[in-house]
Amino acid sequence: MSATCDFQAKDYKSDLKPIWCPGCGDFSVVQGIYRALAAIGRPPHEIAFVSGIGCSSRIPGYTTAYGFNSVHGRALPIAQGIKLANPDLLVLAAGGDGDGFSIGGGHIAHLIRRNMDITYIVMDNQIYGLTKGQLSPTSQKGRVTCTSRFGSLEEPVNPLLYVLAYGAGFVAQASPTDLAGMAATIEEAIRYPGFAFVNIQSPCVTYGEEGQQIKGLKAISESLVAMGHNPADRLAAMDLAQQYGQKMHLGVFYRNPEPAPTYDGLVRERQALLSKDAPSPERILDLFIKK
Amino acid sequence: MTTRGIDYASLSLKDALDLAVFIEEEAKERYEEFAAQMEQHRTPEAAKFFSLMAENEAKHGEELAARRAQLFGSEPQAVTREMIYDIEAPDYDAARAFMTPRQAMRAALASEVKAHAFFVAALPAVKDAGVKALFEELRDEEVHHKDLVTAELAKLPPDSGLSDEDFVDEPAAQ
Repeated sequence: MSATCDFQAKDYKSDLKPIWCPGCGDFSVVQGIYRALAAIGRPPHEIAFVSGIGCSSRIPGYTTAYGFNSVHGRALPIAQGIKLANPDLLVLAAGGDGDGFSIGGGHIAHLIRRNMDITYIVMDNQIYGLTKGQLSPTSQKGRVTCTSRFGSLEEPVNPLLYVLAYGAGFVAQASPTDLAGMAATIEEAIRYPGFAFVNIQSPCVTYGEEGQQIKGLKAISESLVAMGHNPADRLAAMDLAQQYGQKMHLGVFYRNPEPAPTYDGLVRERQALLSKDAPSPERILDLFIKK
Repeated sequence: MTTRGIDYASLSLKDALDLAVFIEEEAKERYEEFAAQMEQHRTPEAAKFFSLMAENEAKHGEELAARRAQLFGSEPQAVTREMIYDIEAPDYDAARAFMTPRQAMRAALASEVKAHAFFVAALPAVKDAGVKALFEELRDEEVHHKDLVTAELAKLPPDSGLSDEDFVDEPAAQ
């Protein structure tokens, strides 16, 4: 791992101009990411940022890190591959609620059980924005969209409870209503030695409902620190997470006080162990070439 | 509008000037971003107004930076840009596709009001006489800027009565 240097938020900002709708919450999210990365201090070339498909998945392109705007719902397998191939990289994954909890939903459980040192940022706007406003996995029951003309009949996925139930070691929530808090939360997630999940309530100004805009979110937001929540208490975190959709708790829900070993770390250990008795490359070549 | 880790009681004039420069820089960059957003969304009048605001903020920032250089030369900064957010910069959610010049000016006006509120809130905690004088000066400047934007707003012809929603297609089932 390289030594950290003095970097400023602007060092992580690329020349590409975001093409999100004016007023989109993702403008604040990317600022929060710049600030968190500056606080971490790793140079941009030591960071890999992978996303799926959707409005929010454009985000790697707006940073100076190595970025991969990949395949719908497949940010996490690709991020895991990158981390295994080059464990020294700081690996971030990002996407929307549809990308992460619908088409990509099956991948989260496996990343959590492997506990790879990857930070996953979901920009949750409860709608498919890029494809013009269809029902998403986190849309509230009763929500009227172009694919639910008479109101959704389904309960939404609860992203916080989902990852807590699978045993994620770090689970937090943030929002553009508090950028300083968002940057600090992302920074803490990156510093956590293992899989870290940050759900960011990021309003869709075009297809989002009024209550999901900044003003509405502010009205239901509450700081977990101010509430006196103990982030080491997983059951208390699960209890609070059940209020997803009604309350917006901001900050760290759960941080495992004794982080489990990471898969990438264990793979390195095993490689080191097995390579002790491994034949030299010349010997391997001999085995194949010489009879 | 948020701040992080600023101790107003121990703020020196050098730190206060650096913060003031950061505030102007942030506002300049945000207006540039808004101008770019408006250009992308084919809203040239709002784009032009936001570009003008960016130029004004740049000018204020340069003036403050020159004062800082004259008083303190190249002494290193003890404060960072990360300590302030959205002080004079319009909030990201203040932008909308197809903003009218009136809506754009209202967004700018709200930012001037916000900046004024920042200095008003900070002043009681300030101990240093030089910082106090600077913050009072900047607070009063915000009032002046607010008056200027209000006067410009009054000159505008009334809006057409159409809202940005009138330009957005209803979501169609695929």
